[in-house]
Amino acid sequence: MASIEAPARPRSSSAVKRAFERYPFLPALIILVVLIALNGWFQPRSLSLAGMTGLIKTYLALMLLAVAQTYVIYAGDIDLSAGAIVSLVNVVIVGVMAQWGGDGATIVAALAIGLATGLACGIVNGIVVAALRLQAIVATFATSIFFTGLALYIQPVAGTPAPTAFWRTYGGRILEIPFVFYVAVLFAILLVVLVRTRLSLRLLAVGDGQQEAYQSGLPVTAIRMGGYALCGVFAALAAFCITGDTASGDPLVGGKMTLFSIAAVVLGGSALAGGYGTVVGSVIGALIIGFINSLVFFVGTPSEWQNLVQGVAILLALMAGVLVGRRARA
Amino acid sequence: MKKSHILSAVAGAALAFSTVSAFAQDFKIGLSNGWVGSEWRTQMIDEAKAAAEAWKEKGVNVTVEVQSANVDVPGQIAHVRNFISAGVDAIIINPNSPTAFDPVFAQAKEAGILVIATDAEVSSPDALYVGIDQKAWGAAGAEWLARTLDGKGNVVAINGVAGHPANEMRVAGYKEVFAQHPDIKVVNEVNANWDQAQGQQAMQNLLATYPDINGVWVQDGMAAGAWKSIMDAGKTDSIAATGEIRKDFIDLWTKDKLNSGASVNPPGVMASALNVAVLMLQGKELKEPAEAGQYKNAMYLPIPFIDSSNLEEAAKQLEGKPGYYSYTSALSIEDAEALFK
Repeated sequence: MASIEAPARPRSSSAVKRAFERYPFLPALIILVVLIALNGWFQPRSLSLAGMTGLIKTYLALMLLAVAQTYVIYAGDIDLSAGAIVSLVNVVIVGVMAQWGGDGATIVAALAIGLATGLACGIVNGIVVAALRLQAIVATFATSIFFTGLALYIQPVAGTPAPTAFWRTYGGRILEIPFVFYVAVLFAILLVVLVRTRLSLRLLAVGDGQQEAYQSGLPVTAIRMGGYALCGVFAALAAFCITGDTASGDPLVGGKMTLFSIAAVVLGGSALAGGYGTVVGSVIGALIIGFINSLVFFVGTPSEWQNLVQGVAILLALMAGVLVGRRARA
Repeated sequence: MKKSHILSAVAGAALAFSTVSAFAQDFKIGLSNGWVGSEWRTQMIDEAKAAAEAWKEKGVNVTVEVQSANVDVPGQIAHVRNFISAGVDAIIINPNSPTAFDPVFAQAKEAGILVIATDAEVSSPDALYVGIDQKAWGAAGAEWLARTLDGKGNVVAINGVAGHPANEMRVAGYKEVFAQHPDIKVVNEVNANWDQAQGQQAMQNLLATYPDINGVWVQDGMAAGAWKSIMDAGKTDSIAATGEIRKDFIDLWTKDKLNSGASVNPPGVMASALNVAVLMLQGKELKEPAEAGQYKNAMYLPIPFIDSSNLEEAAKQLEGKPGYYSYTSALSIEDAEALFK
């Protein structure tokens, strides 16, 4: 934190090195810029205002979930239930809105209940992983099945529609600016605030070395639980976006997002082992996945190959990130 | 009466032909498929591509862009957004959810894009459904079974995935038919998740539990599994069961003279939807607006039925095709034109 201001005239190679050290997401940012350029090259309209709005609408949920995952990964943990929390919150808020009518006040109430649900799920994860000391990867896999089961109990079939007022707002415009842009700005402010909190720093400290953190007097269990709680809250926010974009409840909607959220965190330059990373990187990672998916289509990949090319492209992005990062820091 | 119909159709076609040959038309159509778990889906896309190709003869240049991958609902919404960015004229989609596409279809419509769902109905008022009525599909099999059993006997049903919209509609279809036949008793209903092996297992259990079954109502690929169990139990002569439409089964059916009948959900539905889409893009209007179904936006296609009377014909269509190839049918361009003013 002390090296915020770089020396006035550094030697160029060490300046690059320092920049990459200080901003671990720089390789990801470079990849993102390249991908944006490629998207624009193959389909100029994808970079129009409408195209960008669509992209943000589609991937805002993944960005939020990647951030959720980041806080857990900071501390060297992992959350395989993040997608299941999205599904659960989705059916809870749609269910509450359908039950209570769906005017402005009930929508706000439903969102509050959704946030509380996400927080509760996060705390459950925190208890089983940090307090009961079960292995994070297995324990959250188990809670993911539990949360999915709960979602299926609340709404066995996909389909209950969300109130029109809700998704028209999410998909609409205020003062000619698409609503999702306001959401994105709020999201950015929230991240800036959170970066400055003690919790993110402490999570990183725990991820760097649990033993050392404990010996230096940090409440390790509480910090890890805090990470999971934060993860639950952000998963709930991701669920709000999904609900705004799909206008309906689906007990399985978030399931496939879990591994994408982890991939986004790693693409963004954070270390899965913990102790090193940024939320900005995770947001960029989520965008990389989004731009790869659309690029696969815009370059005209035959349909039989689309899944395969997507997988290879993500792998390449991962490798490029690692190589660029390593070269620059060396 | 009939003659005048034909005449007007011919005149309409001639008119259409003359206008398009004067102004060569170009349409770009996006096809989205969100699940790649079966050959049926692959065949659906191949047939739609072939249908687009066939428009060339009419002087209409239809290019298709395909997005087909295993995706979740947000992933398929991304498909639609990509199509909007690519500036397509129409989107034809086999949707992963009945309700989740309302907002993105509204956006597509705003961008002036025609949206047609096929194979599974959608709730969006901004889209049209062109495909079969799953309820009528279920009812057709049940009617054949009731007829074959002379309106009496013990029947079991093997269903797909509980809670899946298409499954629920099919189940409602057979229930309605069997309710009209008081002497047909549905003794048990099980779910085998549209899985051939699970269908076989379920049938084995049912045969062990109810030795006096006369009829089986079973859907799609599960029928091949169920029939395997029936044949293993040596009950081929005493049981009538619905069948399915893949070549492997049709061959077995012909060889062992099974007492079977199959409702057809043809993979050609997307090709039919494409032909309807092109005509709509040409600015033509439907004779009868598409207002059928629970969402009031459906245009139902005829459901072919295979039984002993036309089994040979079906087998002939599939000759030389691979074993997983499904019996198919689609609206030809002329068939589709006849639906328009």
